[in-house]
Amino acid sequence: MTTHKVTLLPSEKEIEVPTGTLISEAIQNADLEIAQPCGGQGRCGRCAVIIDGKGARRRSTIRLSSSDVEAGYALACQAVIEGDVKVTIPEQERVIRRLVTDKSAKKIQLPFPYDPESMQTVRAFHITLPEPTLDDNRDDVSRMETTLSTLGYGSVEIPLPMLRKMGGVLRQSNWAPWILLEIDEGEGQRVRMIDLSSKPIRPIGLAIDIGTTTVTIYLVDLESGEVINQAAEYNNQIAHGEDVISRIIFAGKGEGLNILGQRIRETIHTLLERLQKRTGIELENIHKVTISGNTTMIHLFLKIPPESIRLTPYIPVVNQPFRYLASDLELHVHPLASIDCLPGVASYVGADISAGVLACGLTESEELTLFIDVGTNGETVLGTKDWMVTCACSAGPAFEGAGVVDGMRATQGAIEEVWVHSQTFEPSFRVIGDVAPKGICGSGLISLLAELFVTGVIDRVGNVKLDLDTARVRQGSHGPEYVLAWGEETESGKDIAITKVDIENLMRAKAAIYAGFSVLASSVGLDLSDVQRVLVGGSFGQYINVEKAIQIGLLPDLPWDRFTFLGNTSVLGSYMALLSKSAREQVRQIAERMTYIELSADNEFFNAFTAALFLPHTEINRFPSVAEVWEKQT
Amino acid sequence: MAIEIPKEKWTSAVREVTLGATSDQGGTRKSTVTVGGATALPYLHFEGKSPNRPALALEIRDRKPGDWSPILLEAWGEAMEDPSEWARAAEAAGADLIYLVLGSTTKDGARNTIKNATATVRKVLDSTGLPLAVIGPGQAEMDNELIVPVAEEAKGERLLIGICEEKNYRTIVAAALANNHLVQSKTPMDVNLSKQLVILIHDMGLPLERIIMDPTTGALGYGIEYGYSVMERLRLAALQGDKMTQQPMFVNPGEEAWRVKESKVGEGVPEHWGDWKRRALNWEAITATTLILSGADILILRHPETLKRVRPVIDELYKPESTF
Repeated sequence: MTTHKVTLLPSEKEIEVPTGTLISEAIQNADLEIAQPCGGQGRCGRCAVIIDGKGARRRSTIRLSSSDVEAGYALACQAVIEGDVKVTIPEQERVIRRLVTDKSAKKIQLPFPYDPESMQTVRAFHITLPEPTLDDNRDDVSRMETTLSTLGYGSVEIPLPMLRKMGGVLRQSNWAPWILLEIDEGEGQRVRMIDLSSKPIRPIGLAIDIGTTTVTIYLVDLESGEVINQAAEYNNQIAHGEDVISRIIFAGKGEGLNILGQRIRETIHTLLERLQKRTGIELENIHKVTISGNTTMIHLFLKIPPESIRLTPYIPVVNQPFRYLASDLELHVHPLASIDCLPGVASYVGADISAGVLACGLTESEELTLFIDVGTNGETVLGTKDWMVTCACSAGPAFEGAGVVDGMRATQGAIEEVWVHSQTFEPSFRVIGDVAPKGICGSGLISLLAELFVTGVIDRVGNVKLDLDTARVRQGSHGPEYVLAWGEETESGKDIAITKVDIENLMRAKAAIYAGFSVLASSVGLDLSDVQRVLVGGSFGQYINVEKAIQIGLLPDLPWDRFTFLGNTSVLGSYMALLSKSAREQVRQIAERMTYIELSADNEFFNAFTAALFLPHTEINRFPSVAEVWEKQT
Repeated sequence: MAIEIPKEKWTSAVREVTLGATSDQGGTRKSTVTVGGATALPYLHFEGKSPNRPALALEIRDRKPGDWSPILLEAWGEAMEDPSEWARAAEAAGADLIYLVLGSTTKDGARNTIKNATATVRKVLDSTGLPLAVIGPGQAEMDNELIVPVAEEAKGERLLIGICEEKNYRTIVAAALANNHLVQSKTPMDVNLSKQLVILIHDMGLPLERIIMDPTTGALGYGIEYGYSVMERLRLAALQGDKMTQQPMFVNPGEEAWRVKESKVGEGVPEHWGDWKRRALNWEAITATTLILSGADILILRHPETLKRVRPVIDELYKPESTF
């Protein structure tokens, strides 16, 4: 039998192995350790090693990018020794970090080159007014108007609070004040004075996404266009219902509407205080706010009774709200700041989707694009730059980590990726921030569900197989469950587990989303395989693993390079509309152009939904790549 | 001019499944029942074959049920006191197979026992040569507790055992696997759910030749058209080549028909409803024949007279003159 010499670095151990031995076996034979969380199936990519020489053949490079392969990386469990070879075993930590960096969330970039002069409606100016004399005895306002007319602004509205402080500021600044103007989006002749000061004013804006489950805020410098800081938190309204329907019902009872209106303000103010602590920017120095959110969230924020959204024929009071002053809306920013709620399409396709479509760039491409917003309401848009159809389905908050016993948002302490060993059923996982785990975020739940399915811990409807030989499966207080982390390793000291009920919630969420876009595609006579690009939005985690999302049947089984994950597209679109008036106008056009398909109009959706309530789907031939992995496994 | 009747060309067929095993086959049954095999929609003999006739089963219990209609009590009489007598009476009434349901309690109201269940099944097997279906009380925990020892007791007989439902199938499928039985895969009136449970059961290693699909139905006037439509769609999928929908279909018109007001109530109903007994029998018979037309392969009946009425309908459907 031919044998080959394997040199293992950095320990410099040498071992002779026969042809066909896997590097992972050679490492174990040499009494060295290498982590194989998935049980040596090439699924997790954690056993990456660096090979030197041509003595090893990669059976699969599924977890490696082409640059990884170029750099010499191979998966120890998938590399067959066929000649002499040197193998470097990197420190586990290094491997993990290397894998993290290329997938972690990016800093928020400017969405386009930013030119405040041509794009921004709220701008600061340092002006000089002619000092009054006994000869020039015009009033302060006339003096201001004259100066502004030299800037090209013919008509200026000066709200009473500004008028009250004008005399003082002008004199204190020695007739050289800083002013903040809101420039009318029309022909640009009309302006409204938002602020006036003897000190420099830095124009600051907010882009807000009011999600049913999560509220996200970007604090933006309107001069540079940069996001100064961002914050996200669960929507306090959750206590009064997890989905829009239960919120609408709550709003209809007694003081319900007011209570929900207050809850969303509390959430926004909590986030603003957090941003203020981080940046030192006072809330009253925020001069412009752009808000996106689904139609119900916008109604509740504006305290408009949303009842008709819930009742057939599902008509909202308003799809394109007007602009209001912060003081009228009891928002603790500058009282004269205007609050711009972006336009939506219909009761169940709101401003979050029109903003999302803007952000994802769907309208700029000829390619058939599917845009999926994985949120509490799973909205989907299919189209090209010439046409768009859209639909919505209620997915529930599971992918945002809510409605799941040990679920949490994707913040420090959240388990964000999981591997399960196919023989021992022991898990390994990665935690955001590399600390003791607190819970599981959306991407972790997707990953966990996929691993439990592929390794056979659950069956294809999601039943936990209690007859497996492992203490990880057990009858818990919420029914059968799988323990992901024992109390001794968690932050709270309590076990972190996924229960049968959690799995059912996840199954329903993924089935609703899949059914939504498959019905949408068939409604225009297209097949999902015709889709050239899939853009996925949603705040379910730092990143989502395409393979796992396909394995559970959340996303269609298409080549992985067709998928792009965009994070929270609603707040991104809101950010773009905050920066640029033409982007704001595009959101309006997008909202007007989309054709809305009502899924409750026939039973096709329900049929597609029950077909999708299976892992990955009742029609396994729709998921050939998953069938292959799964059949290998069983 | 001759009219040419358009014919649908199907690519697939319903799977043939055999219940019961004779002594050559490792069991003790004198006869077996084979169902399925159809290559066209029900009884469209000009398009394809329906090689096996629907099988008619009569339902018996391990003890005389307390909630059955007096009309049924009158029909079976003393035989209901003893499952072996009841089985013999059912065979004599013309059943193709016996459908034995185990109760959750014994005669004195105590929880049913493994000993009682296995002894009952043994007695019934000894008293009739027909294939047998044995179904638990319908509560997951008790079904598992009683059906596993029953499966062992009747090893090799190719019983139909149940109920397998999405939330509780693994134990019963494992018992069927170990003892060469078939399972009843029961789902609540939905094409996808029917198919999913067949996949789950098959995933455990049980051959498709040992799975009978129970899509659930409703009685006449109580959702039968919905059940009919689900069965029709399952059959269409099967003929189009969807392997996981090709199982023969099991329905229980006896249970459905005997729990509706029209068959249950003899007094205080409008006079034009007519004679109670006649009405009740009609209800069961019409429910059953409708389901035969929708493609049912195994039908469970309660009244021997219903069986006598339904059998000629099947014969009629198979007469040469009923084919084009």
